Amino acid sequence: MNAAPLCRRPLGCLKTSLRQARQQNVLFGRTMATATETPAAAERTPGSSMLPDHNFYQLMDTKTKKLRSAFAVYTPPTINTTLTTPLKPLKGIRKGGMRPLPPAAPLPGLLKAPSDPMPLLHAAQIKRMDPTGARAKLFEKTRHGVRPGDVLLVTHRRNREPFAGVCISVRRAGIDTAVLLRTALSKVGVEMWYKVYNKNVAGIEIIKRPRRRVRRARLTYMRLPKHDPGNQTELVLEWKKSRKALLSKAGAAKKGGKKNAKKAKAGAVAVVGKK
Amino acid sequence: MAPRLPARCWRQLHHPSSLLLSRTTTVLPPPPAAPSLLPRTTTRGVKYGWSTLSPRAKPNRFNQVTSGIPAPTTGPAAALLRRARTTPLRTGVLAIKKGMTALMGKSGARIPCTVLQLDRVQTVATKTRAKNGYFAVQVGLGERHADNVGAPMLGYYEAKGIAPKRELAEFHVRDAAGLLPVGVQLLPDWFHIGQWVDVRANSRGFGFAGVMKRHGYAGQEASHGNSKNHRTMGSAGPSQGGGSRVHPGKKMPGRMGNERVTMQNLPVLLVDNDLGIVVVKGCVAGPKGCIVKIQDAVKKPPPPKEFIEATRRQLNERFPHAKQVLEAARKRHLELKEARKEGRIQEFLSTGLIEKETVAQAVDAAILEAETMAPRPEVVA
Repeated sequence: MNAAPLCRRPLGCLKTSLRQARQQNVLFGRTMATATETPAAAERTPGSSMLPDHNFYQLMDTKTKKLRSAFAVYTPPTINTTLTTPLKPLKGIRKGGMRPLPPAAPLPGLLKAPSDPMPLLHAAQIKRMDPTGARAKLFEKTRHGVRPGDVLLVTHRRNREPFAGVCISVRRAGIDTAVLLRTALSKVGVEMWYKVYNKNVAGIEIIKRPRRRVRRARLTYMRLPKHDPGNQTELVLEWKKSRKALLSKAGAAKKGGKKNAKKAKAGAVAVVGKK
Repeated sequence: MAPRLPARCWRQLHHPSSLLLSRTTTVLPPPPAAPSLLPRTTTRGVKYGWSTLSPRAKPNRFNQVTSGIPAPTTGPAAALLRRARTTPLRTGVLAIKKGMTALMGKSGARIPCTVLQLDRVQTVATKTRAKNGYFAVQVGLGERHADNVGAPMLGYYEAKGIAPKRELAEFHVRDAAGLLPVGVQLLPDWFHIGQWVDVRANSRGFGFAGVMKRHGYAGQEASHGNSKNHRTMGSAGPSQGGGSRVHPGKKMPGRMGNERVTMQNLPVLLVDNDLGIVVVKGCVAGPKGCIVKIQDAVKKPPPPKEFIEATRRQLNERFPHAKQVLEAARKRHLELKEARKEGRIQEFLSTGLIEKETVAQAVDAAILEAETMAPRPEVVA
């Protein structure tokens, strides 16, 4: 080590050492900061009534069958929730800005939602889309409800022509419940899925039920030429005729029957057809 | 400039027989334990800045950004800076995929959607740049029976004051502003309807699959002399002249699925705290019941600033004592840890209940005291 400069400029090395001190200052400042904070926080400690209850989980030694160790396992109180407020989907933050969130109450524990939210979600949506319950009733799983093999007439808002076809299958999926109808238009087989609870589906009517109970849930065999039911227009015409007759009879029996007939027509969502 | 001298050199100055005083001595005796100006620090170790860098590359005052040198484009700081733009501001949440359904609109609209449920999602830990090299929030979901948790993790949860969680995951956040207090529950209203999220999950596993299923190869002919090679991949590449080797990454049979899939920019259609659900548009990878990660979309603008602030405020209102609880849990953990080390844990088991009550009472008093000393500032709506 060359010590000559030390003799010449004895204070020269102070510069280096002071620089080192500066650097270490920075380092120490950082480490000390957390150290000084902790006791202050510890003084405030409170909290352990809020500190959830705990019991001990014991670890046993397999050989000696003695307690090896034990750990506190916390059991926070859980608050089971159910659907209380109606769901409001599809409404985001407004253009003018965010609506202020309401102040939240302190939670005494953890909120625990029902483990299967799907049925509740379905029920909430069905209630919204089908307030009268007519469609739900039309598709309930009883002998009065729609079953595969029935001939259905679906009136759609967008398509002018109502679509009539044999119900090949009913896909039950809560709000997403759908029916598959099959018919033949200009000798070409056509199948259409209709979502039962969709607002575009204006009306569904059973116009004919099979004479014998169908013993399959999915009538895919109807796609074979041998079993193809073909066009349903004749059935539709027949049904319309009989309906007209029924309605006019009712009208003849009662005065002001026309009004009733009109009403029936307008509200014809779930008219169970003739057997 | 004065020469940089190691400490062992200038320490000699303190010695009476040093060069400065008597030039006759040639052999210097070892210096006594003189009180040093500088604190005694370890000079070796990665922790203290020891590195294998060449002397020129070591940080000194001439190779710092402050001396006019451009900021380095490599290294941890540069990497974080590079990723800052694509790191969300807030933490995400863990959820369970509950299945698909559709939302029906009054005007006939039908939107297919996926229902994701948040089951007691809590923040478990935070990671900071200073300590861990990045900012992140560790989030836990569900619950796990203590039987199925190892001793180290039992200690971990004990120190947090949290019941063992079924699943843990980290969510990177851009800066310290994105960190949350430990132990708070994140509810679905962490997201707002209409915002975009990225949803990550492991896709459904298909097991060992052939090339036709896995990569969509066309397979081979059924006839024309083909024998027992109808679904095989055929050639794996050219022969002599083409290198006679199989190129890395060649598509072959193997495990299919069960890999992480990210669905980007899914709009949130519905959020409900009572059902604990976040409903996102479209599909999400994985079977029903799989664990998914939901976080603000990377490729869309973050949620409005007011919303972020409001959710933070709500979180503080819901769990005003999160910090204190954590501190109490830590204290308790240290106490128990010491007891475990010394083999005194048995005492706690027998006196656990009584002890807990007294602690709770003491703590109640402390809370009261703290609140009277410094009342919590009113939260401005």
